[in-house]
Amino acid sequence: MALILWIIAAFVFAFGAFYFPVRWAQRRLPPIALPPGESMPVTALQRLAWRTLIAVLLLTLAAAAVVVYSGVEAWWEKDAVRLTATGLLIAALIVFALYMSRVWRWMARDGGALDERDRAILVAAPAGQGPAMLVTLAAWMIGLVETHQSTHMIHSAFLYLIFWSCVMVSVLAQLAGVLVGYRRS
Amino acid sequence: MPKATIRNSIRRLRFEHGEMTQQELADRAGCTRQTIIVLEQERYVPSLLLAFKIAKAFGTTVDAIFTLQEA
Repeated sequence: MALILWIIAAFVFAFGAFYFPVRWAQRRLPPIALPPGESMPVTALQRLAWRTLIAVLLLTLAAAAVVVYSGVEAWWEKDAVRLTATGLLIAALIVFALYMSRVWRWMARDGGALDERDRAILVAAPAGQGPAMLVTLAAWMIGLVETHQSTHMIHSAFLYLIFWSCVMVSVLAQLAGVLVGYRRS
Repeated sequence: MPKATIRNSIRRLRFEHGEMTQQELADRAGCTRQTIIVLEQERYVPSLLLAFKIAKAFGTTVDAIFTLQEA
């Protein structure tokens, strides 16, 4: 199976691993009953996490599109491809750093934008990072072995791609952890 | 160990206190309106600190609002 299909399969698996435990946890909680026409208010942290998640996801997908469209060899041989993809990924990390700096400023201030539930959600948010990175590494391992088994060698550009995918998955999992936290309580 | 839940009467107390809005209570207790909503729906158990702040907002005691219910 092509490598890209393994990556898609890993994303589907990771989504399922995230989605079903959340649904299970939600089913154990009493339903939220709001007056008709009223929706759940969004907290400042929730809004910031959503915006950051969308920005990071779009930049990551753009970088992935550059690599997939140009091919892995181009990453190694063409500076323009490498610089464009790396630039997009660094931009995503800068967006995440801005998010973290604002969250730390909120955390340091008592009685600010965060209340105790927000803080508890933030503390629990990184729980998904480890499993998400393991799924990513497993997808790379299985995908690379299955697609390059006959040649017994892989392109060294994959080392960079594995590193970057783990970094971005870790960032996305942290942000998703915050959003999932609001659905679990 | 038997499962226990914490029940609360925040919603009733809000209406008994001049139909206090969730936002007003959130401002007085120093939390978000979303936290008041999930507290009223008993999806979230507050810390002692928040419980005391809510009790103070209503001018009552913590045990008048929160009760332990053992299954």
